[in-house]
Amino acid sequence: MSYAYLFKYIIIGDTGVGKSCLLLQFTDKRFQPVHDLTIGVEFGARMITIDGKQIKLQIWDTAGQEAFRSITRSYYRGAAGALLVYDITRRETFNHLTTWLDDARQHSNSNMVIMLIGNKSDLESRREVKKEEGEAFAREHGLVFMETSAKTAANVEEAFINTAKEIYEKIQEGVFDINNEANGIKIGPQHSPTNPSLPGAAGQGGSQGGGCC
Amino acid sequence: MWDDCEWEPLEPQMQDLPKSEGRTQESQQENEEKSTWGGWGNWGLSSVLSTATSLTSQVSQGITNVLETGIGAPDPAELARINKLEKEKIKTLSETTTGDEHLEKPILGFGLGNLVQGMTKLVETTSTKVISGGLDTLETIGKKTMEVLQENDPGLKKKRAFLKLDDDKPILSQVLRDAKEKAERENKELEKKHFKKKANYETLFDDHQGLVHLEALEMLSKQCDIKLQSLLESASGAALNDMQETLDQIKELCELPEEDEEENLTTNEIKEILETAVSEINVKITYDRLISTWQEIEDWLAKLNLKICNKNELHQQAIESLAQLTAIAVEQFHKAGELLLIKEHRSTADEAVALEQLTTTLTTLIGIAAARFSEKLNMIVAEGSEKEEINSLITNVFFEAANSSSYIQDAFQLLIPVLQVGAV
Repeated sequence: MSYAYLFKYIIIGDTGVGKSCLLLQFTDKRFQPVHDLTIGVEFGARMITIDGKQIKLQIWDTAGQEAFRSITRSYYRGAAGALLVYDITRRETFNHLTTWLDDARQHSNSNMVIMLIGNKSDLESRREVKKEEGEAFAREHGLVFMETSAKTAANVEEAFINTAKEIYEKIQEGVFDINNEANGIKIGPQHSPTNPSLPGAAGQGGSQGGGCC
Repeated sequence: MWDDCEWEPLEPQMQDLPKSEGRTQESQQENEEKSTWGGWGNWGLSSVLSTATSLTSQVSQGITNVLETGIGAPDPAELARINKLEKEKIKTLSETTTGDEHLEKPILGFGLGNLVQGMTKLVETTSTKVISGGLDTLETIGKKTMEVLQENDPGLKKKRAFLKLDDDKPILSQVLRDAKEKAERENKELEKKHFKKKANYETLFDDHQGLVHLEALEMLSKQCDIKLQSLLESASGAALNDMQETLDQIKELCELPEEDEEENLTTNEIKEILETAVSEINVKITYDRLISTWQEIEDWLAKLNLKICNKNELHQQAIESLAQLTAIAVEQFHKAGELLLIKEHRSTADEAVALEQLTTTLTTLIGIAAARFSEKLNMIVAEGSEKEEINSLITNVFFEAANSSSYIQDAFQLLIPVLQVGAV
């Protein structure tokens, strides 16, 4: 399916905070309580519409385990958006945010939109990190913030789509150079500058092959 | 500086070049007769392959030319002089040629015949550039990447960027992505004209996440390369020599055999070889999904009723199968790379040998798949123009199979730095 833009996202954060579950909820609209540990990186993709434009989100779901850290870092490059996830029921995942953030800032481009996500909001009784703390951290570091539940799907769509909206706005404002793919944005086929000789060429192929090849 | 006119055919210019260049031309002609490209032999469908074979021999001929020229290259001073000569020539040409049209048309044409033309031209013209770029450029020009480039780069934009030498190496996933997008645009045009949509390999490869795994593997490979470079830079004397030697040895271990023997492995044999190789690498990857996909394909082929299934559906299924098998193969190579990097006790030699075994087995499987599908296509009773159409479908199946094999081989090449990092 064709799209106007393709945005590369990375999902990062400690192991077990629900990164893969957020992705699964977003792409497949389902929740899987037990998930295999992610090896290196896994992928998901979904088409969304912003401002009447089709945008393909290509999501790189990284492994949270310490062992994979140096590997996953090499995947940050060229991401337009990042979801930095912690678990509201585990204080230490919140405490590690600074390390993740430094890492992300160091290994990706400075315009990358970072969305801070406090996941597992359905587990209110086990909450260890107050919502206000998340908000304060986000404000301090210039991030967007949301609490989500991959289980109930609360705010999951919003988290992914709002990130895309921010990126889209940055494109409109001219902050992102969309022709530089290191920014994690690719222009879809129909938006590429048209090669003047192209329609002729396609026609040529058609009359020749008659639908072969 | 990369004006279109630089992509003029080389011959007329060559005559004017100094003697050392003339020598190259002779050896090029010799090579024309000899050159074959290994991978193609083992499908043994020579009649069907006539188009495809001529296509590849054109490419290898061009490459040989480049190699010859590169290796027997005159000294730098002379090169510079040739280069200058060339530039002047180009200057004059740019004033005399009318512009893009007669250059780009043959390359844009979709038919294979046109493709060959465009390609020869490109390879020939490319070779001059390569001389001035030196041998390391050769590494960047994989045989197959070449083909992909030809077919899918209308404005030759990528190629120019690619040959600029100062920039990054060409990125296969990017080349594939461009190819996919171009095909999608073309499909739109065809739809408008009420032609049937073509089965597009790159799109299907992307649908099965082959593209993104390849992209990730490229990033991983690059990271390892950077690490190796910094290790080499910090070493000196005997340590440096040792390290360089180790790296070279691993590279040698990873050299794929020039020509595969004609193999017709059963699914069980393939399964066994893959499992043995995986256990040698000793990381948690698995080709179960590949095997079950292949079994599904075999079942589909066995149940196929040629009276009902038309040639286009069969062709579509062939391309889909190749894309799917290749995507799984590449995905597992990517996983292997990640897991090797966190593996505690590395045994690089065993890993290299096993990965090479995986590569050859997987490309053999691709060859088998292509042969099975073309067998079926051949069985469709056809006459007249139908027959021709079927032949071109078969050629296309083999063409995409060759692409599949080279993506698998490229993925393997990307793992070499990963192996090397484990040994130093």
